[in-house]
Amino acid sequence: MSTHNVPETFSIPVGPLHVALEEPMYFKIDVQGETVSHIDINAGHAHRGIEYLTTKRTMYQNVVLTERICSLCSNSHPQTFAMAAEKIAGIEVPERGIYLRTVADEMKRVTSHLFNVALLVHLVGYETYFMHMMQVREIGQDMLESIFGNRQDIGAMCIGGVRYDLDDKSIAYIKGALDKIEAETKDIIKTFKTNGSILRRTKGVGVLTHADAITCGVVGPVARASGVDYDVRREAPYAAYDRLPLVVHSLTDGDVWSRAMVRLEEILTSINLLRVCLRDLPGGPVNINDRPDIPPGQAVTRSEAPRGEVIYYLRTNDTPQPERVKWRVPTFMNWDSLRFMLQDAKIADIAMIVNSIDPCLSCTER
Amino acid sequence: MNFLTIFARNLKQGPQTEAFPLGPAFTPDRLRGRIEFKAESCEGCRICERVCPANAIRFAKTPDGMTFDCWHNTCVFCGNCEFYCPTDAIHQTNDWDLSHVNADKFDMVEHGLIPNQTCVDCGATALNTAPMVKNAKPPLSTEEVAEVRARCPKCRAKYLKNRKVPA
Ligand code: SF4
Ligand code: SF4
Repeated sequence: MSTHNVPETFSIPVGPLHVALEEPMYFKIDVQGETVSHIDINAGHAHRGIEYLTTKRTMYQNVVLTERICSLCSNSHPQTFAMAAEKIAGIEVPERGIYLRTVADEMKRVTSHLFNVALLVHLVGYETYFMHMMQVREIGQDMLESIFGNRQDIGAMCIGGVRYDLDDKSIAYIKGALDKIEAETKDIIKTFKTNGSILRRTKGVGVLTHADAITCGVVGPVARASGVDYDVRREAPYAAYDRLPLVVHSLTDGDVWSRAMVRLEEILTSINLLRVCLRDLPGGPVNINDRPDIPPGQAVTRSEAPRGEVIYYLRTNDTPQPERVKWRVPTFMNWDSLRFMLQDAKIADIAMIVNSIDPCLSCTER
Repeated sequence: MNFLTIFARNLKQGPQTEAFPLGPAFTPDRLRGRIEFKAESCEGCRICERVCPANAIRFAKTPDGMTFDCWHNTCVFCGNCEFYCPTDAIHQTNDWDLSHVNADKFDMVEHGLIPNQTCVDCGATALNTAPMVKNAKPPLSTEEVAEVRARCPKCRAKYLKNRKVPA
Protein backbone atom coordinates (compact mmCIF):
# COMPACT_ATOMS: atom_id res chain seq x y z
CA MET A 1 0.00 0.00 0.00
CA SER A 2 1.35 3.34 -0.96
CA THR A 3 1.32 6.11 1.59
CA HIS A 4 2.35 8.83 -0.82
CA ASN A 5 -0.92 10.74 -1.05
CA VAL A 6 -2.04 10.40 2.52
CA PRO A 7 -1.28 13.55 4.51
CA GLU A 8 0.06 12.99 7.97
CA THR A 9 -2.32 15.25 9.81
CA PHE A 10 -6.04 15.74 9.38
CA SER A 11 -8.29 18.43 10.69
CA ILE A 12 -11.55 17.15 12.06
CA PRO A 13 -14.50 19.14 13.26
CA VAL A 14 -15.96 18.16 16.61
CA GLY A 15 -19.23 19.90 17.41
CA PRO A 16 -20.75 22.40 17.47
CA LEU A 17 -23.53 20.03 18.41
CA HIS A 18 -23.40 16.84 20.40
CA VAL A 19 -19.89 16.80 21.76
CA ALA A 20 -20.95 15.49 25.11
CA LEU A 21 -23.84 17.38 26.54
CA GLU A 22 -25.72 18.52 23.45
CA GLU A 23 -24.41 21.96 24.13
CA PRO A 24 -22.95 23.94 21.26
CA MET A 25 -19.18 24.15 21.28
CA TYR A 26 -17.02 23.73 18.25
CA PHE A 27 -13.55 22.22 18.25
CA LYS A 28 -11.29 22.17 15.25
CA ILE A 29 -8.98 19.36 16.03
CA ASP A 30 -5.82 18.44 14.17
CA VAL A 31 -5.07 14.79 14.49
CA GLN A 32 -2.07 12.72 13.66
CA GLY A 33 -3.39 9.24 13.17
CA GLU A 34 -5.60 8.81 16.19
CA THR A 35 -3.85 11.35 18.34
CA VAL A 36 -4.87 14.95 18.87
CA SER A 37 -2.06 17.32 17.98
CA HIS A 38 -3.71 20.71 18.07
CA ILE A 39 -7.03 22.12 19.32
CA ASP A 40 -8.91 25.22 18.32
CA ILE A 41 -11.89 26.06 20.48
CA ASN A 42 -14.63 28.14 18.93
CA ALA A 43 -17.45 29.18 21.19
CA GLY A 44 -20.25 31.68 21.11
CA HIS A 45 -23.06 29.72 19.49
CA ALA A 46 -25.57 30.14 22.28
CA HIS A 47 -25.66 33.84 23.02
CA ARG A 48 -29.07 34.72 24.44
CA GLY A 49 -28.44 38.28 25.59
CA ILE A 50 -29.39 37.62 29.20
CA GLU A 51 -26.89 40.08 30.61
CA TYR A 52 -28.58 42.83 28.65
CA LEU A 53 -32.03 41.55 29.58
CA THR A 54 -31.25 41.85 33.29
CA THR A 55 -30.99 45.62 32.90
CA LYS A 56 -34.52 45.63 31.46
CA ARG A 57 -36.05 43.72 34.37
CA THR A 58 -36.55 44.80 37.95
CA MET A 59 -34.44 43.33 40.72
CA TYR A 60 -37.29 41.04 41.74
CA GLN A 61 -37.90 39.81 38.22
CA ASN A 62 -34.19 39.21 37.82
CA VAL A 63 -34.12 36.61 40.57
CA VAL A 64 -36.21 34.48 38.22
CA LEU A 65 -34.30 35.45 35.11
CA THR A 66 -30.91 34.58 36.61
CA GLU A 67 -32.32 31.23 37.65
CA ARG A 68 -32.84 30.47 33.99
CA ILE A 69 -29.24 31.10 33.01
CA CYS A 70 -28.34 27.49 33.66
CA SER A 71 -30.53 24.56 34.52
CA LEU A 72 -28.05 22.61 36.63
CA CYS A 73 -26.62 25.55 38.58
CA SER A 74 -30.08 27.09 38.67
CA ASN A 75 -29.87 27.71 42.39
CA SER A 76 -26.41 29.27 42.50
CA HIS A 77 -27.21 32.09 40.08
CA PRO A 78 -30.22 33.61 41.84
CA GLN A 79 -28.57 33.00 45.18
CA THR A 80 -25.42 34.91 44.25
CA PHE A 81 -27.53 37.62 42.64
CA ALA A 82 -29.70 37.92 45.75
CA MET A 83 -26.57 38.00 47.92
CA ALA A 84 -25.32 40.97 45.88
CA ALA A 85 -28.64 42.81 46.23
CA GLU A 86 -28.69 42.09 49.95
CA LYS A 87 -25.14 43.39 50.31
CA ILE A 88 -26.08 46.67 48.63
CA ALA A 89 -29.28 47.12 50.62
CA GLY A 90 -27.80 45.85 53.88
CA ILE A 91 -30.47 43.16 54.18
CA GLU A 92 -29.91 40.46 56.79
CA VAL A 93 -31.32 37.10 55.85
CA PRO A 94 -33.03 35.42 58.83
CA GLU A 95 -31.24 32.45 60.34
CA ARG A 96 -33.73 29.86 59.10
CA GLY A 97 -33.50 31.33 55.60
CA ILE A 98 -29.72 30.96 55.69
CA TYR A 99 -30.00 27.26 56.47
CA LEU A 100 -32.70 26.70 53.86
CA ARG A 101 -30.47 28.37 51.26
CA THR A 102 -27.79 25.83 52.05
CA VAL A 103 -30.30 23.00 51.81
CA ALA A 104 -31.39 24.10 48.33
CA ASP A 105 -27.80 24.58 47.22
CA GLU A 106 -26.64 21.16 48.34
CA MET A 107 -29.65 19.35 46.89
CA LYS A 108 -28.88 20.88 43.52
CA ARG A 109 -25.23 19.90 43.87
CA VAL A 110 -26.12 16.27 44.49
CA THR A 111 -28.27 15.98 41.38
CA SER A 112 -25.90 18.02 39.23
CA HIS A 113 -22.88 15.88 40.12
CA LEU A 114 -24.84 12.67 39.62
CA PHE A 115 -25.88 13.88 36.19
CA ASN A 116 -22.34 14.66 35.12
CA VAL A 117 -20.85 11.41 36.33
CA ALA A 118 -23.73 9.47 34.76
CA LEU A 119 -22.96 11.12 31.44
CA LEU A 120 -19.35 10.11 31.82
CA VAL A 121 -20.43 6.51 32.17
CA HIS A 122 -22.58 6.94 29.07
CA LEU A 123 -19.57 8.23 27.12
CA VAL A 124 -17.48 5.38 28.44
CA GLY A 125 -20.03 3.20 26.70
CA TYR A 126 -21.42 1.53 29.79
CA GLU A 127 -25.06 2.29 28.95
CA THR A 128 -26.65 0.03 31.52
CA TYR A 129 -24.82 1.68 34.36
CA PHE A 130 -25.63 5.08 32.89
CA MET A 131 -29.33 4.20 33.10
CA HIS A 132 -28.82 3.05 36.66
CA MET A 133 -27.10 6.28 37.67
CA MET A 134 -29.79 8.38 36.06
CA GLN A 135 -32.32 6.39 38.03
CA VAL A 136 -30.43 7.21 41.22
CA ARG A 137 -30.40 10.86 40.21
CA GLU A 138 -34.14 10.58 39.67
CA ILE A 139 -34.56 10.08 43.42
CA GLY A 140 -32.98 13.50 43.79
CA GLN A 141 -35.06 15.01 41.00
CA ASP A 142 -38.26 13.72 42.58
CA MET A 143 -37.06 15.25 45.82
CA LEU A 144 -36.57 18.64 44.16
CA GLU A 145 -39.97 18.42 42.52
CA SER A 146 -41.68 17.45 45.76
CA ILE A 147 -40.03 20.13 47.88
CA PHE A 148 -39.73 23.03 45.45
CA GLY A 149 -42.33 22.23 42.79
CA ASN A 150 -39.96 21.95 39.85
CA ARG A 151 -37.23 19.55 38.81
CA GLN A 152 -34.76 22.18 37.64
CA ASP A 153 -35.79 25.77 38.27
CA ILE A 154 -36.48 25.21 41.91
CA GLY A 155 -37.33 28.84 42.68
CA ALA A 156 -36.00 28.60 46.20
CA MET A 157 -34.32 32.00 46.39
CA CYS A 158 -35.68 35.47 46.87
CA ILE A 159 -34.01 38.69 47.85
CA GLY A 160 -34.01 38.55 51.63
CA GLY A 161 -34.20 34.80 52.12
CA VAL A 162 -35.92 31.82 50.59
CA ARG A 163 -39.37 31.24 49.20
CA TYR A 164 -40.00 27.80 50.61
CA ASP A 165 -40.25 26.23 54.02
CA LEU A 166 -39.87 22.73 55.37
CA ASP A 167 -42.17 20.99 57.81
CA ASP A 168 -41.64 17.74 59.67
CA LYS A 169 -43.17 15.74 56.86
CA SER A 170 -40.92 17.15 54.16
CA ILE A 171 -37.86 16.86 56.39
CA ALA A 172 -38.62 13.19 56.95
CA TYR A 173 -39.13 12.74 53.22
CA ILE A 174 -35.79 14.40 52.39
CA LYS A 175 -34.00 12.28 54.96
CA GLY A 176 -35.45 9.13 53.43
CA ALA A 177 -34.43 10.17 49.93
CA LEU A 178 -30.92 11.07 51.12
CA ASP A 179 -30.49 7.65 52.71
CA LYS A 180 -31.31 6.03 49.38
CA ILE A 181 -29.02 8.30 47.37
CA GLU A 182 -26.20 7.84 49.86
CA ALA A 183 -26.30 4.05 49.70
CA GLU A 184 -26.40 4.11 45.90
CA THR A 185 -23.59 6.67 45.66
CA LYS A 186 -21.37 4.54 47.87
CA ASP A 187 -22.03 1.68 45.48
CA ILE A 188 -21.22 3.87 42.51
CA ILE A 189 -17.93 4.90 44.11
CA LYS A 190 -17.07 1.24 44.63
CA THR A 191 -17.87 0.56 40.99
CA PHE A 192 -15.70 3.47 39.89
CA LYS A 193 -12.81 2.08 41.91
CA THR A 194 -13.11 -1.47 40.62
CA ASN A 195 -14.87 -1.62 37.27
CA GLY A 196 -12.34 -2.43 34.53
CA SER A 197 -14.16 -0.65 31.69
CA ILE A 198 -14.50 2.59 33.63
CA LEU A 199 -10.95 2.48 34.97
CA ARG A 200 -9.38 1.72 31.58
CA ARG A 201 -11.24 4.51 29.84
CA THR A 202 -10.81 7.20 32.47
CA LYS A 203 -7.56 6.66 34.40
CA GLY A 204 -4.67 8.71 33.10
CA VAL A 205 -6.89 10.23 30.39
CA GLY A 206 -7.26 13.98 29.87
CA VAL A 207 -4.69 14.89 32.48
CA LEU A 208 -4.51 18.45 33.75
CA THR A 209 -1.39 18.86 35.85
CA HIS A 210 -1.36 20.98 38.96
CA ALA A 211 0.79 23.60 37.21
CA ASP A 212 -1.53 23.79 34.21
CA ALA A 213 -4.52 23.99 36.51
CA ILE A 214 -2.97 27.04 38.15
CA THR A 215 -2.12 28.55 34.75
CA CYS A 216 -5.70 28.21 33.53
CA GLY A 217 -7.16 29.32 36.83
CA VAL A 218 -9.63 26.44 36.82
CA VAL A 219 -12.25 26.21 39.53
CA GLY A 220 -14.58 23.70 41.11
CA PRO A 221 -14.15 19.94 40.85
CA VAL A 222 -11.79 20.41 37.87
CA ALA A 223 -9.39 22.35 40.07
CA ARG A 224 -9.79 20.05 43.05
CA ALA A 225 -9.06 16.97 40.94
CA SER A 226 -5.72 18.55 39.96
CA GLY A 227 -4.73 19.17 43.54
CA VAL A 228 -5.91 22.78 43.79
CA ASP A 229 -7.53 22.68 47.21
CA TYR A 230 -10.02 25.50 46.74
CA ASP A 231 -13.70 25.75 47.51
CA VAL A 232 -15.57 29.03 47.92
CA ARG A 233 -17.74 27.44 50.57
CA ARG A 234 -14.63 27.25 52.75
CA GLU A 235 -12.58 30.23 51.50
CA ALA A 236 -15.39 32.77 51.66
CA PRO A 237 -18.29 31.14 53.48
CA TYR A 238 -21.77 32.31 52.62
CA ALA A 239 -25.19 30.97 53.66
CA ALA A 240 -24.61 28.59 56.58
CA TYR A 241 -21.33 27.08 55.43
CA ASP A 242 -19.28 28.61 58.20
CA ARG A 243 -21.07 26.47 60.77
CA LEU A 244 -21.15 23.20 58.83
CA PRO A 245 -18.63 20.36 58.79
CA LEU A 246 -17.58 20.94 55.19
CA VAL A 247 -14.97 18.58 53.79
CA VAL A 248 -13.21 19.73 50.63
CA HIS A 249 -12.12 16.81 48.51
CA SER A 250 -9.09 17.06 46.34
CA LEU A 251 -7.07 14.55 44.35
CA THR A 252 -3.77 14.91 42.57
CA ASP A 253 -3.92 12.97 39.30
CA GLY A 254 -5.98 15.51 37.37
CA ASP A 255 -7.44 12.89 35.03
CA VAL A 256 -11.04 12.20 34.02
CA TRP A 257 -11.35 9.58 36.74
CA SER A 258 -10.21 11.99 39.46
CA ARG A 259 -12.69 14.62 38.38
CA ALA A 260 -15.49 12.09 38.53
CA MET A 261 -14.27 10.82 41.88
CA VAL A 262 -14.13 14.32 43.38
CA ARG A 263 -17.74 14.81 42.31
CA LEU A 264 -18.85 11.50 43.76
CA GLU A 265 -17.14 12.21 47.07
CA GLU A 266 -18.73 15.66 47.10
CA ILE A 267 -22.15 14.07 46.79
CA LEU A 268 -21.54 12.23 50.04
CA THR A 269 -20.32 15.43 51.68
CA SER A 270 -23.39 17.29 50.43
CA ILE A 271 -25.65 14.61 51.87
CA ASN A 272 -23.87 14.97 55.18
CA LEU A 273 -24.22 18.77 55.08
CA LEU A 274 -27.91 18.39 54.28
CA ARG A 275 -28.42 16.12 57.27
CA VAL A 276 -26.66 18.57 59.58
CA CYS A 277 -28.73 21.46 58.18
CA LEU A 278 -31.97 19.57 58.70
CA ARG A 279 -30.92 18.64 62.23
CA ASP A 280 -29.85 22.18 63.22
CA LEU A 281 -32.57 24.01 61.31
CA PRO A 282 -33.41 27.03 63.48
CA GLY A 283 -36.95 28.34 63.83
CA GLY A 284 -38.26 31.73 62.79
CA PRO A 285 -39.06 33.37 59.49
CA VAL A 286 -37.50 32.13 56.24
CA ASN A 287 -37.28 35.56 54.62
CA ILE A 288 -37.63 39.23 55.48
CA ASN A 289 -41.26 39.23 54.26
CA ASP A 290 -40.77 42.50 52.44
CA ARG A 291 -39.89 43.78 49.00
CA PRO A 292 -37.63 46.75 49.73
CA ASP A 293 -36.19 48.99 47.04
CA ILE A 294 -32.53 48.27 46.45
CA PRO A 295 -30.62 51.57 46.83
CA PRO A 296 -27.91 52.66 44.40
CA GLY A 297 -24.63 50.86 44.94
CA GLN A 298 -22.45 48.06 43.74
CA ALA A 299 -21.41 44.71 45.08
CA VAL A 300 -19.42 41.63 44.16
CA THR A 301 -20.44 38.28 45.58
CA ARG A 302 -19.41 34.71 44.91
CA SER A 303 -20.52 31.22 45.66
CA GLU A 304 -19.56 27.65 44.89
CA ALA A 305 -21.86 26.35 42.16
CA PRO A 306 -21.71 22.63 41.35
CA ARG A 307 -19.27 23.50 38.55
CA GLY A 308 -17.14 25.83 40.62
CA GLU A 309 -16.87 29.44 41.66
CA VAL A 310 -19.48 31.81 40.26
CA ILE A 311 -18.95 35.53 40.75
CA TYR A 312 -21.61 38.24 40.43
CA TYR A 313 -21.09 41.91 39.99
CA LEU A 314 -24.18 44.06 40.47
CA ARG A 315 -24.52 47.80 40.10
CA THR A 316 -27.81 49.47 40.96
CA ASN A 317 -29.05 53.00 40.49
CA ASP A 318 -32.25 54.59 41.67
CA THR A 319 -34.46 52.79 39.17
CA PRO A 320 -35.99 49.40 39.98
CA GLN A 321 -33.78 47.87 37.28
CA PRO A 322 -30.10 47.17 37.88
CA GLU A 323 -27.68 49.26 35.88
CA ARG A 324 -25.32 46.39 35.22
CA VAL A 325 -25.18 42.74 36.10
CA LYS A 326 -22.16 40.72 35.16
CA TRP A 327 -21.27 37.23 36.17
CA ARG A 328 -18.25 35.03 35.74
CA VAL A 329 -19.12 31.39 35.53
CA PRO A 330 -16.98 28.34 36.25
CA THR A 331 -17.01 26.97 32.70
CA PHE A 332 -15.39 30.14 31.42
CA MET A 333 -12.34 29.33 33.53
CA ASN A 334 -12.49 25.61 32.90
CA TRP A 335 -12.87 25.32 29.15
CA ASP A 336 -9.44 26.79 28.48
CA SER A 337 -7.94 23.84 30.26
CA LEU A 338 -9.37 21.59 27.55
CA ARG A 339 -6.40 22.64 25.42
CA PHE A 340 -4.13 20.91 27.90
CA MET A 341 -6.41 17.96 28.57
CA LEU A 342 -7.02 17.19 24.90
CA GLN A 343 -3.39 17.51 23.85
CA ASP A 344 -2.19 14.06 22.72
CA ALA A 345 -5.51 12.49 23.64
CA LYS A 346 -7.14 9.83 21.49
CA ILE A 347 -10.02 10.85 19.24
CA ALA A 348 -12.32 8.43 21.00
CA ASP A 349 -11.68 10.17 24.32
CA ILE A 350 -12.50 13.70 23.17
CA ALA A 351 -16.16 13.68 24.17
CA MET A 352 -15.35 12.12 27.52
CA ILE A 353 -12.67 14.70 28.29
CA VAL A 354 -14.94 17.57 27.28
CA ASN A 355 -17.64 16.17 29.55
CA SER A 356 -15.21 15.86 32.43
CA ILE A 357 -15.02 19.63 32.90
CA ASP A 358 -18.81 19.53 33.26
CA PRO A 359 -19.15 22.26 30.63
CA CYS A 360 -22.10 24.58 30.85
CA LEU A 361 -22.32 26.77 27.80
CA SER A 362 -25.74 28.18 28.51
CA CYS A 363 -24.26 30.19 31.38
CA THR A 364 -20.91 30.90 29.78
CA GLU A 365 -22.37 32.34 26.61
CA ARG A 366 -25.67 33.41 28.19
CA MET B 1 -21.74 -8.96 41.80
CA ASN B 2 -22.86 -5.44 42.46
CA PHE B 3 -24.34 -5.28 39.00
CA LEU B 4 -26.16 -8.58 39.41
CA THR B 5 -27.86 -7.27 42.55
CA ILE B 6 -29.10 -4.23 40.67
CA PHE B 7 -30.24 -6.47 37.86
CA ALA B 8 -32.22 -8.71 40.18
CA ARG B 9 -33.76 -5.75 41.94
CA ASN B 10 -34.78 -4.09 38.70
CA LEU B 11 -36.22 -7.32 37.41
CA LYS B 12 -38.39 -7.52 40.50
CA GLN B 13 -39.40 -3.84 40.45
CA GLY B 14 -40.33 -3.68 36.80
CA PRO B 15 -40.00 -0.58 34.62
CA GLN B 16 -39.07 2.67 36.36
CA THR B 17 -40.68 4.85 33.72
CA GLU B 18 -44.14 6.23 34.25
CA ALA B 19 -47.01 4.83 32.24
CA PHE B 20 -48.23 8.30 31.30
CA PRO B 21 -50.43 8.94 29.26
CA LEU B 22 -51.81 5.46 29.92
CA GLY B 23 -51.44 5.83 33.66
CA PRO B 24 -50.99 8.64 36.18
CA ALA B 25 -47.77 10.62 36.30
CA PHE B 26 -45.86 11.50 39.47
CA THR B 27 -47.34 14.81 40.64
CA PRO B 28 -46.29 16.16 44.02
CA ASP B 29 -48.62 18.50 45.89
CA ARG B 30 -46.17 21.36 45.73
CA LEU B 31 -45.71 21.16 41.95
CA ARG B 32 -45.84 24.62 40.46
CA GLY B 33 -48.27 24.44 37.56
CA ARG B 34 -51.28 26.21 36.13
CA ILE B 35 -52.18 29.59 37.66
CA GLU B 36 -55.48 30.01 39.46
CA PHE B 37 -56.89 33.47 40.18
CA LYS B 38 -59.56 34.22 42.76
CA ALA B 39 -61.03 37.63 41.97
CA GLU B 40 -62.89 37.81 45.32
CA SER B 41 -59.64 37.79 47.31
CA CYS B 42 -57.72 40.18 45.07
CA GLU B 43 -56.82 43.59 46.49
CA GLY B 44 -56.05 44.97 43.08
CA CYS B 45 -52.58 45.99 44.22
CA ARG B 46 -51.07 44.71 40.97
CA ILE B 47 -47.90 43.53 42.67
CA CYS B 48 -48.16 40.25 40.79
CA GLU B 49 -48.13 42.13 37.51
CA ARG B 50 -44.99 43.99 38.57
CA VAL B 51 -43.00 41.01 39.83
CA CYS B 52 -43.92 38.67 36.97
CA PRO B 53 -40.66 38.27 35.05
CA ALA B 54 -42.41 37.08 31.90
CA ASN B 55 -45.00 39.83 31.76
CA ALA B 56 -47.61 37.10 31.61
CA ILE B 57 -50.04 38.96 33.86
CA ARG B 58 -52.03 41.89 32.57
CA PHE B 59 -54.67 43.95 34.36
CA ALA B 60 -56.92 46.17 32.29
CA LYS B 61 -59.64 48.66 33.12
CA THR B 62 -62.91 47.91 31.34
CA PRO B 63 -66.41 49.36 31.74
CA ASP B 64 -67.29 46.40 33.97
CA GLY B 65 -64.30 46.66 36.26
CA MET B 66 -60.73 45.48 36.17
CA THR B 67 -59.88 42.32 34.29
CA PHE B 68 -57.06 39.98 35.15
CA ASP B 69 -55.40 37.82 32.52
CA CYS B 70 -52.57 35.38 32.95
CA TRP B 71 -51.26 33.96 29.71
CA HIS B 72 -50.20 30.41 30.35
CA ASN B 73 -48.23 30.30 27.16
CA THR B 74 -46.11 33.20 28.39
CA CYS B 75 -45.92 32.20 32.05
CA VAL B 76 -42.70 30.50 33.13
CA PHE B 77 -44.29 29.02 36.28
CA CYS B 78 -41.80 30.71 38.54
CA GLY B 79 -44.28 31.40 41.31
CA ASN B 80 -43.19 34.99 41.92
CA CYS B 81 -46.81 36.18 41.64
CA GLU B 82 -48.06 33.79 44.28
CA PHE B 83 -45.11 34.48 46.54
CA TYR B 84 -45.53 38.26 46.54
CA CYS B 85 -49.35 38.35 46.45
CA PRO B 86 -50.48 39.68 49.83
CA THR B 87 -53.78 37.78 49.85
CA ASP B 88 -53.27 34.39 48.17
CA ALA B 89 -55.59 35.55 45.38
CA ILE B 90 -53.19 34.05 42.90
CA HIS B 91 -52.11 30.48 43.33
CA GLN B 92 -50.18 27.89 41.36
CA THR B 93 -52.05 24.61 41.24
CA ASN B 94 -50.25 21.34 40.66
CA ASP B 95 -51.99 20.88 37.33
CA TRP B 96 -49.13 20.60 34.85
CA ASP B 97 -51.00 19.25 31.85
CA LEU B 98 -51.16 22.29 29.63
CA SER B 99 -50.98 20.53 26.30
CA HIS B 100 -53.50 21.85 23.82
CA VAL B 101 -54.10 22.00 20.10
CA ASN B 102 -52.68 24.96 18.27
CA ALA B 103 -56.13 26.38 17.59
CA ASP B 104 -56.62 26.85 21.35
CA LYS B 105 -53.39 28.72 21.92
CA PHE B 106 -55.09 32.04 22.64
CA ASP B 107 -57.43 30.41 25.12
CA MET B 108 -54.68 29.26 27.47
CA VAL B 109 -55.52 32.16 29.71
CA GLU B 110 -56.63 32.40 33.32
CA HIS B 111 -59.20 35.16 33.27
CA GLY B 112 -60.80 37.04 36.13
CA LEU B 113 -62.83 40.18 36.70
CA ILE B 114 -62.86 42.47 39.69
CA PRO B 115 -66.28 44.03 39.11
CA ASN B 116 -67.28 47.62 39.61
CA GLN B 117 -69.65 48.52 42.43
CA THR B 118 -71.38 51.60 43.70
CA CYS B 119 -70.00 52.95 46.95
CA VAL B 120 -72.62 52.70 49.68
CA ASP B 121 -71.54 56.05 51.13
CA CYS B 122 -70.89 58.42 48.25
CA GLY B 123 -72.34 56.51 45.33
CA ALA B 124 -69.14 56.67 43.28
CA THR B 125 -68.27 53.79 40.99
CA ALA B 126 -65.28 51.88 42.34
CA LEU B 127 -63.73 48.43 42.13
CA ASN B 128 -65.06 45.73 44.41
CA THR B 129 -61.58 44.69 45.55
CA ALA B 130 -60.75 42.88 48.74
CA PRO B 131 -59.90 45.53 51.35
CA MET B 132 -56.28 45.96 52.39
CA VAL B 133 -56.87 45.61 56.11
CA LYS B 134 -54.35 42.95 57.06
CA ASN B 135 -52.43 45.31 59.31
CA ALA B 136 -55.45 46.99 60.88
CA LYS B 137 -55.41 46.88 64.66
CA PRO B 138 -57.44 45.38 66.17
CA PRO B 139 -58.22 43.00 63.29
CA LEU B 140 -61.50 43.63 61.54
CA SER B 141 -64.46 41.34 62.04
CA THR B 142 -66.04 39.67 59.02
CA GLU B 143 -68.91 42.18 59.07
CA GLU B 144 -66.50 45.10 59.21
CA VAL B 145 -64.52 43.71 56.28
CA ALA B 146 -67.76 43.47 54.30
CA GLU B 147 -68.62 47.05 55.19
CA VAL B 148 -65.21 48.32 54.13
CA ARG B 149 -65.48 46.31 50.96
CA ALA B 150 -68.76 47.98 49.97
CA ARG B 151 -67.08 51.40 49.81
CA CYS B 152 -64.85 53.25 47.40
CA PRO B 153 -61.16 53.80 48.34
CA LYS B 154 -61.81 57.26 49.77
CA CYS B 155 -64.77 56.16 51.88
CA ARG B 156 -62.83 53.06 52.94
CA ALA B 157 -60.12 55.29 54.36
CA LYS B 158 -62.72 57.43 56.08
CA TYR B 159 -64.46 54.35 57.50
CA LEU B 160 -61.22 52.97 58.91
CA LYS B 161 -60.27 56.36 60.37
CA ASN B 162 -63.62 56.78 62.11
CA ARG B 163 -63.72 53.20 63.24
CA LYS B 164 -64.40 53.01 66.95
CA VAL B 165 -61.57 51.07 68.49
CA PRO B 166 -62.87 49.43 71.64
CA ALA B 167 -60.71 50.41 74.57
S1 SF4 C 1 -53.60 38.84 42.65
FE1 SF4 C 1 -52.57 39.39 44.55
S2 SF4 C 1 -50.75 40.53 43.90
FE2 SF4 C 1 -52.14 40.45 42.14
S3 SF4 C 1 -53.32 42.34 42.28
FE3 SF4 C 1 -54.51 40.77 43.33
S4 SF4 C 1 -53.91 40.93 45.47
FE4 SF4 C 1 -52.36 42.05 44.30
S1 SF4 D 1 -45.75 32.08 37.72
FE1 SF4 D 1 -44.18 33.62 37.24
S2 SF4 D 1 -44.33 33.88 35.02
FE2 SF4 D 1 -46.22 32.87 35.66
S3 SF4 D 1 -47.65 34.51 36.00
FE3 SF4 D 1 -46.70 34.09 37.99
S4 SF4 D 1 -44.97 35.51 38.11
FE4 SF4 D 1 -45.63 35.44 35.95
